[in-house]
Amino acid sequence: MDTLKSPSPGHPATGGTAVATGATRSASAVTATGLTKTYGRGEATVRALDGVDVTIAAGAFTAIMGPSGSGKSTLMHLLAGLDDATSGTVDLGSTRLTALDDKALTLLRRDRVGFVFQSFNLLPMLTARQNILLPLDLAGRDVDGVWLDVLVQTLGLGQRLAHRPGELSGGQQQRVAIARALVGKPDVVFADEPTGNLDTRAGAEVLSFLRRSVRELGTTVVMVTHDPSAAAYADRVLLIADGRIAGDIDDPTPEAALAGLDALRSLADATPEVVR
Amino acid sequence: MLAVTLAEMRRSAGRLAAAGVAILLGSAFVCVTLLTGNVIERAFTDAAAARYGQADMVAEWTSGTGVHPATLTRVRTLPQVRAADPVADTTIAYQAGDRTVSQATVGTATSPDLDPQTVASGRLPTAPGEVALPVHLAAQLGVDVGGTVTVTPPADTTSDGTSDGTGRRTPVDLTVTGTVDDPHGAFRDTGGAAVVDPALLDRWRALDGEGAVFTLAVATAPGTTPAELTRALASVLPDPEVRTRAEVAQSNASRLTGGTDAFTGVVLTFAAISLLVAALVIANTFQVLVAQRTRMLALLRCVGATRGQVAAAVVGEAALLGLVASGAGVAAGYLLGQLALVVAQAHTDLPLPAAVTPSVASVLVPVVVGTLVTVVASLVPARAATRVAPLVALRPADAPHVDRKAGASRLAGSLLLVLGGGGLMALGVVAGYAGAPQAGLAAAFLGGTLSFVGVLVGAVLWMPHVVHAAGHLLGRFGPASRLAAANTLRNPRRTTATATALLIGVTLVATMSVGAATASRSLATSLDGVYPYDIEVDAYGDGTAGTPSLPADVLRRIAAVDGVVAVAPVTTATMAVAAPDGRTSSDSEQTLVLGVDRATAERALRDTALLDGLDDRTVVVSRTPWVWSPPTDGEDAAGVGLRPVGTDGTATGPVVHLAARAADRAPAGGVYVTAATLRRIAPDAVTTTAWIRVGDDAGAAHVVSDVQQVLSDAGIDAGVSGLAAEREGTQDVIDTLLRIVLGLLAVAVVIAIIGVANTLSLSVIERRRESATLRALGLTRGRLRWMLAQEGMLIAVVGTVTGLVLGTAYGWAGAGAALASTGGVRVGIPWVTLGTVLVVAVAAGLAASVVPGRSAARTPPVAALAVE
Repeated sequence: MDTLKSPSPGHPATGGTAVATGATRSASAVTATGLTKTYGRGEATVRALDGVDVTIAAGAFTAIMGPSGSGKSTLMHLLAGLDDATSGTVDLGSTRLTALDDKALTLLRRDRVGFVFQSFNLLPMLTARQNILLPLDLAGRDVDGVWLDVLVQTLGLGQRLAHRPGELSGGQQQRVAIARALVGKPDVVFADEPTGNLDTRAGAEVLSFLRRSVRELGTTVVMVTHDPSAAAYADRVLLIADGRIAGDIDDPTPEAALAGLDALRSLADATPEVVR
Repeated sequence: MLAVTLAEMRRSAGRLAAAGVAILLGSAFVCVTLLTGNVIERAFTDAAAARYGQADMVAEWTSGTGVHPATLTRVRTLPQVRAADPVADTTIAYQAGDRTVSQATVGTATSPDLDPQTVASGRLPTAPGEVALPVHLAAQLGVDVGGTVTVTPPADTTSDGTSDGTGRRTPVDLTVTGTVDDPHGAFRDTGGAAVVDPALLDRWRALDGEGAVFTLAVATAPGTTPAELTRALASVLPDPEVRTRAEVAQSNASRLTGGTDAFTGVVLTFAAISLLVAALVIANTFQVLVAQRTRMLALLRCVGATRGQVAAAVVGEAALLGLVASGAGVAAGYLLGQLALVVAQAHTDLPLPAAVTPSVASVLVPVVVGTLVTVVASLVPARAATRVAPLVALRPADAPHVDRKAGASRLAGSLLLVLGGGGLMALGVVAGYAGAPQAGLAAAFLGGTLSFVGVLVGAVLWMPHVVHAAGHLLGRFGPASRLAAANTLRNPRRTTATATALLIGVTLVATMSVGAATASRSLATSLDGVYPYDIEVDAYGDGTAGTPSLPADVLRRIAAVDGVVAVAPVTTATMAVAAPDGRTSSDSEQTLVLGVDRATAERALRDTALLDGLDDRTVVVSRTPWVWSPPTDGEDAAGVGLRPVGTDGTATGPVVHLAARAADRAPAGGVYVTAATLRRIAPDAVTTTAWIRVGDDAGAAHVVSDVQQVLSDAGIDAGVSGLAAEREGTQDVIDTLLRIVLGLLAVAVVIAIIGVANTLSLSVIERRRESATLRALGLTRGRLRWMLAQEGMLIAVVGTVTGLVLGTAYGWAGAGAALASTGGVRVGIPWVTLGTVLVVAVAAGLAASVVPGRSAARTPPVAALAVE
């Protein structure tokens, strides 16, 4: 992989020497306390999340890993302000998400959060460039041309900006989606199974880009995945099972991540999970 | 497959319901039209039979001596006859005090069954000295029951001894025994009928030379057939023709209402337009339904459904929808028809039936037509469904698309229709100018229809470009607008179909409005040339002092009349006119010369053409001669000589030479000079005439009578003429017709608006994930709704604006072809109406987005993360 050019002077990130551990970071990007989410009532009540406390370090690449139905997606929805918690609190920086109404949450997502989806979710009628700029467009913010150039070059999208999503490969579409997530310099980027719809090579590419955006652009990334080899790109892996944090691996290797996941599986043997 | 179809229909119930409303409205329209036709026909039939009261049969003799009193007596004794009365009337002048009113008069019926009228007060006459008057006549004459009216019998023109023998008309006093009503409209034409003793009626009819009675209304004994009555009557008077009351009514009515079928036909045309629009909406809906079900259809194909079965499933669904929707349409139609009837009964005194009559046609036709239209509209989507490959079921589905490239044949066909139709239309206009308005209008109508079909067929080709341009304009108004524009452009075919549905209605609305405005303006303009003033007051003086004139204070009072905008006094003098070649006018060519003050005349005249070039050295004469031959063009410069003459025809002053100008648009025979010139030639001339301009909304008839009042108060015997009232009357007719037509077209527009809402709802469903993504990326609920609102408005504006432009062109062409021969066509554009249409369309587009917008805004952002 090529070495990345230094980021633009205007960018707040200070350089490409990010440290993997959260300990040297003064700020935490997202903090959740006693986070609980239940669906249904009475007999049919499902506790998707059960009193989760978690701190996501700023400027780090955190993976949330767990088998299907473990609550990892629900956790991400709540951390990102996409869904309401049943109880508990979520703070994004100094903002308490759990106290905001829909409109305030919407504006917060627009201005401070980036999303990368499993099925890309680009708008088919917009070009790649228009898709990338959409969040700024919605916010009525000016485009930082230098930053956009950095993103486009980093993600190798220079030749593709005028194309519509239908004319792009899956990997290209996901890179456009990453550029869209990063263009507004959000406090946190949430990626939900970003490699789920990609082949291995394109998936590896996307994960590398996510890691480089953390290391070299100073972004905070939270990625939900069930894939140990994907999780290995992260600085830290949070293992989740049955709605609770079940493990925490710093600087994981694929083997460590897989071992962690296997441990979870054997825990939950009684109810076999179907893993993709 | 039926089970699958039904299951799919349940799943898409909302979509189908929205599409069904379009068909419902269309078939309700057809149903109401047929019912209205029935009601009108029945109203006419009832009226046509009302003359016979509740008679069972009507006997007529087409030859012979007629029914004499002796014959009638014998008829009444027949066992088959319960009662029989002659069907006869005459017109008599009734007088009370100083008021005299003529009124149709009939004899008292011998049986209540045969009485076409009902008694309002008192009783019917039983003796020759009595009369019962229609209620309104009694009021007009100011007499009450028990009072007296005087009648002067018709002149004695017969010598058969029934007169008083003197040959004089001797007035007779009659006692008013009662008043009668005509609730069934038996005597609608004459405002009811007075009733006198039959003997008196016979005598009057004889005096009036009206001859014998040839028709009898008969109440028959129970069970008597027409044939039996015929035989019985023939024994008294040969060759009777007996028909039942219903038969007579039917034949009378069909004579009265040759127009009913025409009326139904015209209104059905509008119903057909509504159904066409509904078909577009249906086709659109089914296209999207098929697209949405691509995977399901592919799955069906995978498990062994044939292409035919797939197509049959779609068409079957359409047939069911059409059946249910048009059935509901018939129910709605009956409700509406009954409602309209109740309202109509409250607002008119026409004898309308109390309830609509269900007829087989009014139920079957809307259902069959509605179902057929739905099925036909679903054929193209059904074909698209058969093209879904089984393989699709095994692939991850992308956004569904039913998008085909429009073929070259479509382009060619559309161009051919547009150009051919346009050419025919141009030919029609040319024919109109060439003085063949009938042929011109026919050609313009045919050409217009053909080219409009061409425009619609080709809409897929040109409409997307219009949508594109409009979308780019909209895109300047912020991100939500840009998204809305991009969304509208992503499926140009669907947008086109939706906008086209609206285009049809709006084009026709604009055609009618512009045509009507152009027609009324052109008619007004051609009248303006002949009668440039609204009202002319003429005291019939010759302008010399001492003859009748209009004093200044009378003119001031006329100017003060409510509705009068301007009054121009005109001075006149009789003059002999000398042509430039020295042909001095003979006495018979003396004419009234009018002195006009330019400044006041300009304000008072609608058409100021006759003032062009009028100055103190020029005389203007109308090119249309009356008494005096006007100069031809070559003679204009040479001028004319004017010489004042007195009442006895002798010259009272020297000849004055003036330049002359001939005016095309001036009242025939008019000779005009400036007021100053007239004073110079005839110093004694006084004002005998005034031109009055009436405000456009003033109510000309009232102004005319107010002006007459001013004149009679002043004791001036002056003529008040002009076309103000006629002009207003014409305008009223045009406006009323236009309002009716626009009301009928409104149904088509409403259906099209439903189509817009439908298209938006379908888009919302298709774009659920996108909506969620936008919400996740930070689009607020309000702005998501606003985005959809703008999509709706964009479609509405595109359909409306193109419709308005097209319709305006059609309206011009039609009016041009029809009116060119009557004079210059003045294009009138009803800006207010067209503007209203645009505003309503935009508002409707906005309203159409409300429900889809709410469902889109409810999409939780988390849905963006869901994997299909």
